[in-house]
Amino acid sequence: MPQGALADTLEAPAVDEEVGLDELAAPDTPWVTIVWNDPVNLMTYVSWVFRSYFGYSAPEAERLMLLVHTEGRAVVASGGREEMERHVEAMHDFGLWATLTRDDA
Amino acid sequence: MIGFARHDGIVTARFTRTECLVLVDLAEQLLGLLHERGTDATGDLLYAQLGIGGSSTAPLDPALARLLPDAYRDDEHAASDHRRLTERSLVERKVANARRVIADLDAQELALDDAGVQAWLRTLTDLRLALAARLQIEDDGDTGLGDEDMLMVYDWLGYLQGTLLEVIE
Repeated sequence: MPQGALADTLEAPAVDEEVGLDELAAPDTPWVTIVWNDPVNLMTYVSWVFRSYFGYSAPEAERLMLLVHTEGRAVVASGGREEMERHVEAMHDFGLWATLTRDDA
Repeated sequence: MIGFARHDGIVTARFTRTECLVLVDLAEQLLGLLHERGTDATGDLLYAQLGIGGSSTAPLDPALARLLPDAYRDDEHAASDHRRLTERSLVERKVANARRVIADLDAQELALDDAGVQAWLRTLTDLRLALAARLQIEDDGDTGLGDEDMLMVYDWLGYLQGTLLEVIE
């Protein structure tokens, strides 16, 4: 059996960051797709998903993957609500844990 | 254990009989799990054909909950609406991927086109997510309940996925 398969996975720190959904935000406030850390998916897989689905360059996909890994989450796309819903659904297809929220930053 | 390889642009894999049986068994269990979800949601036939009209609440089973997560983290109402409209299609796509894997395993030596590679990568992920939920793996390097047989399978699926990613890069 392979060694190190588990070591290559994304670790899951206690993720309890609040992603506030500001109901009072302006209607044209953009939405964002957030990918959350999980202890299962291989780092190579997450990078590949970011490259193959979003079309990110290898360095950018790697940067976003590492952000998920170290910060517990990363914003991987922003835009209209429906577009972000499609992205989230695609991420769920890939088995990544993703959500969308209003970008209140 | 051979895993995946690539010859002349075609992705191939050869599995021992035991490996085949394990993969088919796991994929069928995944289908069973997804089927459970697919049938417990009430909805009318037209909605079902459109892929909508599914359940509006997250699955109680942690494996299913991880396979079919909420799209909104802090807005129950939006999460529930989105789930009702999209979950059934998501389940159907996961089912189609797992069926494809089972069908591929019927061949002596399987050869995957792009669609096949996509189905395999997704199903290997779904299987690992479901196993991790059963093992109660919550952190990196965590062995959860420590069931050695299940962990061995979990690691092996990760290895397979790793080799598949390597050959398509």
